[in-house]
Amino acid sequence: MITYPRYLAGQSETQSLLIALGNAGINIMDRLIAQTAFPMESLAINTDQQSISNTLASNKISMGQMTTHGLGTGGDPEIGLDAVKESAGEIQRAIGGKNIVFICAGLGGGTGSGAAPLVAELAKQNGALVIAVVTSPFSFEGRRRAQQAATSLREITRFADAILHFENDRMAELIAPHAEVGETFSVCDKLLFRAISSLNRIVTSHGPIPVSLPDMLAVLRHSEDSCLFGCGEAAGEDRVHHVLETALRSPLLDRGRLLHDAGRLLVHISGPSSLSMEEVAEIMKEISKNLSPSAMLNLGVSVSQDHSSPLSVAIIGRCGGEKRATPTIKASTDLSYLTQSAPTPQPASKPQQTEAPFFEIPVATAVHPTEKPAAPKVQQPLLPLDPVTRGRFDKIEPTIVEGEDLDVPTFLRMKLKK
Amino acid sequence: MAREKIHVGLEIGTTKVCAVVAECRRDGEVRLLGVGESPSRGVRKGEIVDFQNASNCVHDALSDAEERSDHEIKSVWLAVTGSHIESSNHRRSVTIEGGGEITEKEIEDIASKDKEVSLPKDNDILHSILQQYYVDGREGVIDPIGIGGSKLEADYHIIHGVVNRIQSTIRCVRKIGIDVEDVVVNSVASAQIILDDQKKASGVVVIDIGGGVTDYIVYHNGVVRQSGVIAIGGDHITNDLCIGLRIPITRAEKLKIEEGSASLENLSGAEKITLKNDTGFSGKEIDRSMLNHIIHSRLHELFGILRNRIQDVVPIHLLGSGIILTGGCSLIKGVREVAESVFEVPVHFAHAQSVTGPTSAFDNPQLSTCIGLVKYAHAVDTDYPQESFLNRFINSITRKLHLI
Repeated sequence: MITYPRYLAGQSETQSLLIALGNAGINIMDRLIAQTAFPMESLAINTDQQSISNTLASNKISMGQMTTHGLGTGGDPEIGLDAVKESAGEIQRAIGGKNIVFICAGLGGGTGSGAAPLVAELAKQNGALVIAVVTSPFSFEGRRRAQQAATSLREITRFADAILHFENDRMAELIAPHAEVGETFSVCDKLLFRAISSLNRIVTSHGPIPVSLPDMLAVLRHSEDSCLFGCGEAAGEDRVHHVLETALRSPLLDRGRLLHDAGRLLVHISGPSSLSMEEVAEIMKEISKNLSPSAMLNLGVSVSQDHSSPLSVAIIGRCGGEKRATPTIKASTDLSYLTQSAPTPQPASKPQQTEAPFFEIPVATAVHPTEKPAAPKVQQPLLPLDPVTRGRFDKIEPTIVEGEDLDVPTFLRMKLKK
Repeated sequence: MAREKIHVGLEIGTTKVCAVVAECRRDGEVRLLGVGESPSRGVRKGEIVDFQNASNCVHDALSDAEERSDHEIKSVWLAVTGSHIESSNHRRSVTIEGGGEITEKEIEDIASKDKEVSLPKDNDILHSILQQYYVDGREGVIDPIGIGGSKLEADYHIIHGVVNRIQSTIRCVRKIGIDVEDVVVNSVASAQIILDDQKKASGVVVIDIGGGVTDYIVYHNGVVRQSGVIAIGGDHITNDLCIGLRIPITRAEKLKIEEGSASLENLSGAEKITLKNDTGFSGKEIDRSMLNHIIHSRLHELFGILRNRIQDVVPIHLLGSGIILTGGCSLIKGVREVAESVFEVPVHFAHAQSVTGPTSAFDNPQLSTCIGLVKYAHAVDTDYPQESFLNRFINSITRKLHLI
C-alpha cells in the first residue's frame, strides 16, 4: 500500500532539490544548468575533487575526503558506499527541509552505484518524496558494470518512491545509431532533464485534474523495466499539433510505437489559462490511438495563471507491461485507426514537417504488423569470460542443462539475468 | 540359524566410498552386518577422474567393511551414476503364433527385444524395466500368460549409459581383485529400499542428492515412469560458497555441513557467522543471509529442473506419495521447505524400510543406495536363484541359441 507523505496534504510550498551523484549525474546537471533556466536547487555530490570544483551546481559536497582523498572511487561501489557513509552528516544537512528530492545518477560506476542507495535512504528518512532518475550503463561497458548497476538499482528501489530508469543502450540505439558521440550524449542528457522537470511539474502543480501521487507512483514503481518518456512544448496557433508532434517524436517512445507496450501511462498536460477542454480532448484522443486497448491511462491537467506560458505535454509510462494484446488484434484495431485518422485535417499554416509522425504510425504497424519491435529491451547476452566462476569444476566435463552451464554458481547466474 | 546369502553393495560416491555388507532374509528384511566407509578421492560428479586414487579408496572402504562385518568380500554389487546415464520409454510388440494363447515364450521374446532399441553408438542398456503389457491394444494386463490374443505389446523403461564410462568404474573394483556381480543405477538401487509397493502405486519421486550428482526416479501406478541423473550435487553448493563468500574450499565444505541452511525465513540480515582462523586461513565473518541465499538459489534451481523433467511424464499433483529426498544433501537444513515450495506436494525424507542392524547406518541417507543394492541383489537372486552374473549371461546366450 502506498501512504501519502504528510507534507503534501496541507503544505502548498514545495521545495525540491536535485542531487547529482557521481560524474555522470554531474554531467547531466551541468548541461541542464548551462542550457536552461533551472527551476530548482541543485546539489552536486562526488568523490572526484576535480569534477566537483568545475560543476555549476549551487551547492557542492565533496564526499569521502578521508576515504578517497578526492581521487574518485575507481569504479568500486564499496568505496563509494564508504565515502557516502563518511559524509552522511553533511548530506543530511543539505537535504534537510526539502520535500521532493530528485536523485540523478549514472549507475555502473563507483560513486553513483555505491552512494545512490544511501543518499536515497537519507532523503527518505528526512521525510522527502524521493524520485530517482538513473541510467544504466551501455552493455559494451562490460558485465561487471552492468552487475553493479543492477545491484544498486535494486537497493535504490527499497528507498525511492519512484524510479525513472533509462537504459543507455536503448537511448543510444533509438536516438540515432550513427550520431556523433557528443550529440548522442547531449540528447540523452536532455531527455533526462526533461524527465526531471516534467516530474517536478507534475508533483508540484495544481490544476483542475491533478495527478494523484499513488497514480504517479504506480506508473514509476517498477524499476526493473525501463521507462517510456516523451514530452513536448509549444505555444501559439496549432499548439496542440506541435506539442503532440514533439512529444510523440521523442526517441524513447520510438515514434509512438512503444506506447503499444505500455501497461500504464501517465499523461500530464499543463498550459496557460486559455487551455480549452477541446484541446485536452484532442491531445488525449491522439495519444490513445497509439495505446494498446488494455492500457491504464492516468490524466493530469494543470493550468497556470500566466497567459504566456506554453502548452506542454508529458507522457510517462513503463514498457514491458503485463498487458500485451496479441499482434492480430493490434493489427485490426490499427486498421480502424487508419481509416479514422486519414481525414484528420492537417494544419495548413505549418510548412515544415507537415507529416505529423503520429499519423504515420498506424500505417506502418498495420501494413507490417509482424515487423513491430516486439520487445523494446535491447539485451545482448554476454559471453562468460570470467574463468574463475567454475571453481573446482574447471577441468572436468561441464553440466549443461537447457543451454546453461550449471557449474557456474546459481546466484551469479541469477544476478546476471536480472 | 543358517545364514542367508550375504550380499555386498558398493557405491563409489563423489564424497565417499561406502560398502554395505548385509544379509537378506526370506521375508525381505535386510540385516546389516557391517558398513565400511572411506572418504573419496579422484571422483567428480559420480565418475572416476583419478583411477589410482579412487581404487585405493575402494580398497580402504571394502577392507573396513570386511573388518566390521567379519565377512570376506569376494564380489560386490556396484552402483553407478554420472551425467551420461539417460532413460527413455519404449513400446515393443510380438505377434502371437500358434493357438493364440500367450505363453512364456512370448514373454521371453518380448523381453529379449532390448537390442532393437535404438541407442547412441557408445551406449548400452543398464536396466530394462517392464512397465505394462497390452494384449491386442488392451491396457492394464498384469500377467499375460494364458490370455488369448494375436498381438502382445509391452512398454519398457530403458536406462542406458556410455559403456566405457561404466567399464572404468567396474575396472576400478576389479583392479583390487574383487568381482563385480552386476551394476545397478543409483536411483534404481535407492528406490528398492526407500519405496514400498503402496508408494510406487500411488506415485512417488525419489530424489537422491549426493555429493556430485542428483539421481531421481519417478514411480507412478506401480511402475518406473522416468529416471535420470543431473550432475549437480553437494559439491556445487560447496563450490558456490567458495566463490560467493571467498573462502577456501575446505572451509566452505565445513561451513556447509555445520551452518548450511537453505531457509530464507527469519533472516535478520545482520547475523554473522565467524569462521575461526586456521592454518593458511585467517578468520572471516560471513553474512548468514548471504550463505542461505547461495544455498537456496542452488537448490531452488535444481528442484526447478527436476520439476520440469518430472512434469514431462507425470503431472506432479498426481503423485500421491509426493517427493522423497535422500542423499547427503538432504541433510542440509531447510531443503525440504525449498522442495515443497517448488513441487507443491508433500516432501518427506527417506526412511530405509525393513532394515535391521546398527541404527546409525540405516537412518543415514548417505547409505540408502548401498542398502538398496543389497535389496536389489536379493530380489535378483530370488528371481534367478544360484546364478551369478556370468552364469546368467551364459544362460541367456544358450537360451537364444536354443531359439535358433
